Amino acid sequence: MERAYHPTRILVVLGIILVLIMADHLSSPTFAFNSGQGNVQTALTQRDETACAPCGAPCPSTRD
Amino acid sequence: MTDSAVLQPGLQQPGWQMDRFIVVTALAGFALLGGLIWLETAPFMVALFVIGTVLGMALYHGAFGFTAGWRNLVVKKRGAGMRAQLVLFGLSSLIMVPMLYSGQAGLVGAVAPVGTSLVVGSFIFGLGMQLGGGCGSGTLFTVGAGNIRMVVTLVFFIAGTVLGSIHLPWWLDQPGFDPVPLVNTFGVSGAIVVQLLGLGLLARWVNRIERKAHGNLERDELLWKGQAHGVFRTLLSGRWPFTWAILILAAGNALTLAFSGAPWSITFAFNVWGAKALEVVGVNMSQFEFWTWEYPAMALKDSVLTNVPSVMNFGLLLGAMLAAGLANRFNEASRNRPEGRQFLASVVGGLLLGYGARLGFGCNIGALFSGIASASLHAWIWFACAFAGSLLGIRLRPWFRLPN
Repeated sequence: MERAYHPTRILVVLGIILVLIMADHLSSPTFAFNSGQGNVQTALTQRDETACAPCGAPCPSTRD
Repeated sequence: MTDSAVLQPGLQQPGWQMDRFIVVTALAGFALLGGLIWLETAPFMVALFVIGTVLGMALYHGAFGFTAGWRNLVVKKRGAGMRAQLVLFGLSSLIMVPMLYSGQAGLVGAVAPVGTSLVVGSFIFGLGMQLGGGCGSGTLFTVGAGNIRMVVTLVFFIAGTVLGSIHLPWWLDQPGFDPVPLVNTFGVSGAIVVQLLGLGLLARWVNRIERKAHGNLERDELLWKGQAHGVFRTLLSGRWPFTWAILILAAGNALTLAFSGAPWSITFAFNVWGAKALEVVGVNMSQFEFWTWEYPAMALKDSVLTNVPSVMNFGLLLGAMLAAGLANRFNEASRNRPEGRQFLASVVGGLLLGYGARLGFGCNIGALFSGIASASLHAWIWFACAFAGSLLGIRLRPWFRLPN
């Protein structure tokens, strides 16, 4: 069967996504923490349990 | 369920042919990203990545979604897809409500405020489902499976969530009230019973529609065995009976809750990806109120590898890609290139999906599936409003040259 996609393009797209993930990670507090830098807050073990919705929205009753 | 995700049993060739390039690429991506998550975050994030991958395979092989299930009921008067969803909600409710309210610290349900934002957002989302060609999970797994049209939908889905995040504070100031966990009114057992009764009533309504139109019910949601091949081959190359997908999706959401402390969600990751992209081009997102709230601000600042929905979405994309390769259907999906009004439908549908998901506190997974599994009133309102929006979307589909 004739291929409708180009394997090279698939690899390039996945490669770009990986580079973007890496670039984002290398500039993150988690990477700084892993590199031995203290005094940084990482999102890994923190959760906002006071939020009123999964996206972190506050409760309507707390808004002015 | 998206247009392209509706697999037709019996169309596969008798000898099993897989797309080796896609399978090897998906496995390599899984190993690479899994290794990175292992090295840089924590073991529970690897577990969530694996769960996301399995969920992606289940969604693809089970052809399990919401969009076509709803449309089949409205247009073809067939209810198997809808009943499969109702069974999934019931099963998850039985498993997850006791987990959430067992008193174990650190578990938070998918509850959300009830008000204007929810009603408008879920209606818009339902409309977007039919125009965009998929819901939150449907969009992701079809993109993973190589569907070009759904890539367009996903890009505008992401744009829509960012726009929605900018407007959400205004919508929250419109009439509404705080979350209503059904457990507070009925207790744990009572909430489960009330929800099962509600789901049962919906199933009766679905059955009545199907019987009235056809005189019988297609009980596809009760099949246990694959129709075309043996168990092992069906497990790898699909198509799975609905029951397999239901069990895997229910178990996956419960495990997500156990490992991450919150039920499965998808669209918050789109918010984070879009906002990060805007920051790269110089937009200061902290000027918008949403991005000053603790959780979004934290997620925006830190690595996507520490963001649970992002990590699970990466797994889901790779899982769907692997499944499509095993089923030898990645190629077929790649032929689906949108043009003209179909392209416009993807753009408009994607924007509506994103904007609606943000206003409605999630998509069919985060708000509906996980919301009912958390016994939250908002999930039921979301369901009704999104279905109403979907009805309008189905009427608009012919104008966009989309088949009903």
